[in-house]
Amino acid sequence: MKEAANTLVRILIAKSVAETLLVGVIAVLFFLEAFPPFFHGWGEATPRSIAGWVVNDAAPWDRVEVQIFIDETFMGNSLADRSRPDVVAAGWARDQWHGFEFPSPAVEPGEHEARVYAVHAGIEGTKRTLQLIGDPIRFRRNADGTLVDLNSRMIR
Amino acid sequence: MSHEAREKLTAVVSGRLLAGWEIVSVVISALLAEWVVLSFFGRSRWLVVVPIALGLGLMLASHRAYGETAKDLGFRFDNLPAALRILFVPTITVIVVMLLLTWLSGNSLSFRPSRSKLLFLPFWALFQQYALQGYINRRAQVIFGRGFASVLLVALLFALLHLPNPVLTGLTFVGGLLWAAVYQRYPNLLALAFSHSIAAFFASFFMPPSVLNGLRVGFKYFG
Repeated sequence: MKEAANTLVRILIAKSVAETLLVGVIAVLFFLEAFPPFFHGWGEATPRSIAGWVVNDAAPWDRVEVQIFIDETFMGNSLADRSRPDVVAAGWARDQWHGFEFPSPAVEPGEHEARVYAVHAGIEGTKRTLQLIGDPIRFRRNADGTLVDLNSRMIR
Repeated sequence: MSHEAREKLTAVVSGRLLAGWEIVSVVISALLAEWVVLSFFGRSRWLVVVPIALGLGLMLASHRAYGETAKDLGFRFDNLPAALRILFVPTITVIVVMLLLTWLSGNSLSFRPSRSKLLFLPFWALFQQYALQGYINRRAQVIFGRGFASVLLVALLFALLHLPNPVLTGLTFVGGLLWAAVYQRYPNLLALAFSHSIAAFFASFFMPPSVLNGLRVGFKYFG
């Protein structure tokens, strides 16, 4: 019985190791499916809009759906399908149709923060996840409706 | 304490520890299957065979280590009539109470048969009873001996595996108490599977899906 018990203990240890590995593999696979690390892009505040580009490296010819949140409030969504030849020239995309542009948002004059997210639908389409494109865009809205990108001012 | 007595005590304690570890390990396999694999990989459901195979492999190895035969586990016919007799009244009572509570709570009872589920039900019930009684109940008896403590542990674990579905958790706790107690008196898995199938048949085909939330457990319960 003692030998049988020892065998059982070894099996229990092996099973624990196998299950730990299984959980690890599942965690990685789930992360890759829910938050695939294939989205590249950038956003900034221009005088009249929040604009930028985004490419899905896993499907470089697809147009990516984007959503904009200002001060953590959903403000709209759009398809990144506008012409951005500069993105192709820089080698980030295979074609130029990856730009997005949200018109000057209807927010109070003052400083705000915009975040643009790429929308990713899971394989079964039952779940969607958002991934931030570039960095949060800090901007100031003037009384006349024009925007000033505070990120680029900081860099200067 | 003599050397012999100390060795005997050590063997009993380590036997109980081992049985406890076995129970925890099998429950973890089941929780992994329903909370991790089925919840996050609905499309790759086949992955569920991994934790099930690991759990099943452990159970088979354990039976071998304990020298348990299929008859010991409850795959037998000699005590089938006695087990069915003792199960008859409680099973009918649980079904009537279940349907009565559904009706009293304002939900309508309707029959929604599904041939594939109907055929699958007895096999699924037998597998669950084998794991629950033929394995967990027997190991619980190694820890606590026969009686209320081991029966309660089996019922609690069976209910735990049906969280967070509140109705199903309650039903499986009651069913777990009944089946574990009967198994300790008449170890017959066929009779338990029959009782389980009948109860599950009434629950899944007569009770409205809103009450049982489609029998969903684990993360899937939330949608």
